[in-house]
Amino acid sequence: MIAAILPTISPGTLLATGVAASAASLFLLLPRGRTGTAERASRWIGGLVGMAALAAFMALGHRLGSPGEDAVFLTVALVAVVSGAATVVSRSPVYAAIWFAMSLAGVSGVLLVLGGQFLGVATIVVYAGAILVMFLFVLMLAQPAGLAPYDRVSSEPLLAAVAGAVLLGILSLSIGRLTTEPPACCLTPATKATLLANSAADAAATDPGRVDLLAENHVARLGGELFGRHLLAVEVAGVLLLVALVGSIAIVARGGADDESADARRAIP
Amino acid sequence: MNAVPPSALVLDGLVVGAMLFALGLVGILARRNMIVMFLCAELMLQGISVTLVSWSRHHGDWGGHVLVILVLTVAACEAAVALVFVLQAFARTGRLDAAAWQSLREANLPRTVDRELPAIDTVPPRFPKLTPAGVEPAADEDALLEREQV
Repeated sequence: MIAAILPTISPGTLLATGVAASAASLFLLLPRGRTGTAERASRWIGGLVGMAALAAFMALGHRLGSPGEDAVFLTVALVAVVSGAATVVSRSPVYAAIWFAMSLAGVSGVLLVLGGQFLGVATIVVYAGAILVMFLFVLMLAQPAGLAPYDRVSSEPLLAAVAGAVLLGILSLSIGRLTTEPPACCLTPATKATLLANSAADAAATDPGRVDLLAENHVARLGGELFGRHLLAVEVAGVLLLVALVGSIAIVARGGADDESADARRAIP
Repeated sequence: MNAVPPSALVLDGLVVGAMLFALGLVGILARRNMIVMFLCAELMLQGISVTLVSWSRHHGDWGGHVLVILVLTVAACEAAVALVFVLQAFARTGRLDAAAWQSLREANLPRTVDRELPAIDTVPPRFPKLTPAGVEPAADEDALLEREQV
């Protein structure tokens, strides 16, 4: 049924619908200090509108070839995006952190589908294993019991949702333009011939610098590239880690020195 | 210049990256809890990573992958420093609220004033409970006495 309706809708309309629906959905879902029935209704309507927005973007997406590939990519992409949205709109920061872990799992799946085998695993290990646990530690140290008032309101939810949706619309539009060829009127026969020749020829054959990322020994070749051509960047990253370590310890040590003044400041209402 | 248009998979990956980035942007702009704001910044970094790996696949080049590894490193550093800042801010104000530091705002901007929020009708969370495994046996008084002697 959807396949019968979709060709009648132009991609531009679909994109505009998706952008408007995502803005409305994010606005409805963001915390606005409501309670009871209003809150529940706003969440339900926001979720439904968000599903409509996702459907519009799914209809805009390109088919990958086989239904299996489509299903796998769609699943991991939906997990990433829906959990990302839940991270943004969760009232409780602890739930936000856990939704972010779920989103990381989806992102890691997308990276795996795109051919980043090492990165997919590294994302899970480094982000979910280290960074997220650090976030949760800080939350346990600093989170007051129950929902704080500042978790139940947002600053400018409408403007923020519209800004995000407009950015998404502009990015999708420019991504969509990557495939559209220049209009036939403006093509001279010579450029047309070049374009045809380029698209017909295999890129691997024409570009000597092109490597097949999916060939075997993926991780070994990535390591070779990292410690060969990009050795300087690796060294800089190591120094950066050291600087961050020393900096954090310095900030903590300095903050401990004027604890008394901090206590005095907190005592003033 | 490469005139070959990106494949469908690359385009879809770019759209997913754009969605994650836009979601992170909305969170940074709207949320007030500093830790949630940093989570949203990490979400934006994830969007960037997906985009970089997509382009890497399109160009058949390791550059995007190497850049994502650097992004991971920088994200770890950023999280360490940022969380120390958040802890210090919490120690000073007792809140994770970004608006607690609004005295740092521009002079021509209005002050964020919190209105009184209605109380939440608290429903106590229902946590799952283990079913008791079997019946507790009746205590034998003689055995209890013996146990005390041991």
